[in-house]
Amino acid sequence: MRAVRELAVALTGLGIVLLVWWAVTETGLISRAFLPSPDAALAALQRGLARDLLAQTGATVILMFQGWLLASLVAIILGALIGLNQTARETLEPLLEFIRPLPASAIIPIAIAVFGLTPGMVLSVVAFGSLWPTLLATVHGFKSVEPRLVEVSRALGLSRLSFVWKIGLPNAVPDVLAGMRLSLTVALILAIVTEMLAGQQGLGTAILLAGRSFRAADIFAGLILLGLIGLISNLVLEAIEQRLLRWRAA
Amino acid sequence: MDGMQGAAGTVRSGEVIKPAIAFESVHLDLGGREVLRDVSFSLPSGSFGCVIGPSGSGKTTVLRLAGGFLQAKNGSVCVGGVPRSGPSRDVAVVFQDYGRALLPWRDSYGNVSLALEAAGVPRSERKDRIERLLTTVGLGKHLHKYPSEMSGGMQQRLQIARCLAQEPRILLMDEPFGALDAMTRQTLQDELLRLVSDSGMTVLFVTHDLEEALYLGDVVVALAANPGRVDRVVTVPLPSPRSQLATREHSEFLRLRRELFGLMQDGHG
Repeated sequence: MRAVRELAVALTGLGIVLLVWWAVTETGLISRAFLPSPDAALAALQRGLARDLLAQTGATVILMFQGWLLASLVAIILGALIGLNQTARETLEPLLEFIRPLPASAIIPIAIAVFGLTPGMVLSVVAFGSLWPTLLATVHGFKSVEPRLVEVSRALGLSRLSFVWKIGLPNAVPDVLAGMRLSLTVALILAIVTEMLAGQQGLGTAILLAGRSFRAADIFAGLILLGLIGLISNLVLEAIEQRLLRWRAA
Repeated sequence: MDGMQGAAGTVRSGEVIKPAIAFESVHLDLGGREVLRDVSFSLPSGSFGCVIGPSGSGKTTVLRLAGGFLQAKNGSVCVGGVPRSGPSRDVAVVFQDYGRALLPWRDSYGNVSLALEAAGVPRSERKDRIERLLTTVGLGKHLHKYPSEMSGGMQQRLQIARCLAQEPRILLMDEPFGALDAMTRQTLQDELLRLVSDSGMTVLFVTHDLEEALYLGDVVVALAANPGRVDRVVTVPLPSPRSQLATREHSEFLRLRRELFGLMQDGHG
């Protein structure tokens, strides 16, 4: 019942936006050269999907997910090591704080020099950029284990490895998931920007080319797809989160 | 030759009567502050010992020394005749803050299981033991509740079940019922006495509640504060099993309560 209500509210919001969009283009308040009407954008989307837009979107989504998963894996392992080990934390945290604020797009030239104009280059940039939110969240998750639980595990005679696996990791899961959600957004942004800069096949390049040839409807078709990618991936992550953190719900 | 045999014989007979827990002239400074001064007492095997004292008397420190979480620089802390060098599985600890001592992401079954997993009990044997332990502490119908779904009393029962899963010889309890309401506290006191007398464990129970100490203990170690030191060790000659009504009205209970009451008050001054 609540789900139905939420869906109804969400659809109403979407309807209002579409109505305003339609009104603005219909009255000529904004020229259709810049803002196409909603039906023109949808038609462009249909046309694009019938041609190669789907393949391009697929290329982008695959790179984004590959980079994001690679980053998540590295971030969780590295974050666990740093979070659990005070020496590692003291040695590496200043370095991490130096690298972290660097805009990931600034390493694109380095990535191009190393990997050339290849999908592997895009992958490396996406992975590098989306590493940080998950890494920092994982470090926090592992180092914030309740001190009492450290004592409990000592009294129970839990081995170091069991402690990491049975107490450290579950304790970090909420932080890790929050970090991964942030990382996913970063991964999508970087996948698009890097494609645009390096001229790789994908949704980003499709949007860029549409812009250069003043095909406003095609730009908006691409934007709609981008929005859907973000929306769907976030919904999936939210469902995973709810399942893994059901002990919190009560 | 004769002398040596005699010495060995003394040691051997000494081992037979080795107390379960023995503090001998324990001094402890923490952060430049003297926390314990010359603390000595011992608990015979199978006895229920309570440590009481006002705040600042080092009650919890005594328990942490017995648990092996702290090491005494001077004097000795022995458990089962062995000097304490760190925590061990045969000494279980029930903490006051059950909310932090339980794993929030595991249900009651999983929390008890942790103790068995740590002890390397094979999976096939765990199920029966966990269900039996949870039934023993009255959680037989709540096998799959998470701590966040349980009352304070239930969470503390769960922590006790996890400690029993260790099959300890010694049970250390740090104000375990301090955060619970009066009714729950009395119920748990009686259940604890029943559990302990069934198992033959030695208990060291820290509390700031004088009546609780007298009700539960065979021996009460009363500490004085600043620095923490033993004021007196009292044997409680009350009949077992204890009863919430009769025991608390017993003339000996009232006499001991009067004797120790002033001690607890002085510490606050």
